[in-house]
Amino acid sequence: MPYGRERMVGAESIGRLTLINRMYSTDYATEADLLAACRRQDVRAFEQLYEIHGPRLKSIAYHILGNRQDAEDAVQETFLKLYRAIQGFQGQSSIGTWLCRIAINVCYDLARKRQRETEVPTREHAGPTSQAPLRVALQDALGRINPRHRMVFLLFEVEGLRHAEIASILEVPEGTSKAWLFEAKKELKRLLTETRP
Amino acid sequence: MIFQCDDLERALRSPELMPDARAHAERCEQCREQLYLWSEISRLAPSLHEEWESPALWPAIRAGLAAAAPPPRRLPVWRWSLAAAVLVAMAIALSLPWRVKPQDREFLTEGALEEVQQAESVYARSIEKLSKVAATSMERTPSPLADAYREKLALLDSAIADLKANIENNRYNVYLQNQLAALYREKQKTLQEWLENGKRN
Repeated sequence: MPYGRERMVGAESIGRLTLINRMYSTDYATEADLLAACRRQDVRAFEQLYEIHGPRLKSIAYHILGNRQDAEDAVQETFLKLYRAIQGFQGQSSIGTWLCRIAINVCYDLARKRQRETEVPTREHAGPTSQAPLRVALQDALGRINPRHRMVFLLFEVEGLRHAEIASILEVPEGTSKAWLFEAKKELKRLLTETRP
Repeated sequence: MIFQCDDLERALRSPELMPDARAHAERCEQCREQLYLWSEISRLAPSLHEEWESPALWPAIRAGLAAAAPPPRRLPVWRWSLAAAVLVAMAIALSLPWRVKPQDREFLTEGALEEVQQAESVYARSIEKLSKVAATSMERTPSPLADAYREKLALLDSAIADLKANIENNRYNVYLQNQLAALYREKQKTLQEWLENGKRN
């Protein structure tokens, strides 16, 4: 089996496992129960949150930080921040949205720290895969567009969040989220056009 | 409308112009390429989601949470004292009917018992109302203090239930009735303390 195919099958089974975990993690059936358990600092509740939101947080962190190790460090720090701040969470947004906001802030802090530590870019390439050239070009172009536009594109198109959720995470009006998405796609189209033969 | 290449961006913003844009693109190679890229960006985007196994990540997070947890609180002395007092009271109450001589026992008459039971049920109802108010307030303000009060109240409720079961077998025993009244008073005092504490804060 070619390496790329193997990697894709691996990712599919991880995805399936995550889905099964999500389906059967019924320790806390409602968000309110889960939140109450988190406030009691019940580690099982945090584990359930990790099972539900961990994969998405890792992916977002990877796209901001450019490598898996830093992405995992950021997710770990995100959960620690959540644990410390959970008593102050008023429930104005869903806990997933809040987690996402914490994760993005943690990633930006870590990215600044890494930038101070080294000037050499640390972006990790996924290695030899069966990715289509346009996908590779898209991934590359994504790293070159306006960061705010990139973030909306990442959350909406890559991670499948709704504009209302993105607006809440980035603390901008929903219309701004839609406008930034359009700008992101426009910039990406321009960059892809330039690289097309 | 006569669709020009310059109208493409407007069409990408407004879905109602897309049929015109597609019709134009059939004749214009440049716009066809632009429309193709536009739709490919959205089609390929979900494949940029990165997923990989991180078997060490959750254990690391769990260890971090454990390290961040505040050290376990020592149970306050009053809670131990109360538990001990309730146990001693119950032990005395249970052993008393067998220890004292029959002529020494204090018994209630049928009429007096009825009065005591009526008074007890009125008292219990009023404490129950107070309990509901306090329970709501505790739910609203979760804190270690609320947990401590909740635990104390659960202990008192359990002692009251045991004593009541005992009274069922010794209905005329004055001592047991007095113990029950004392427990009710303690519960009332605890509830009032919590509510007053809540008002102050």
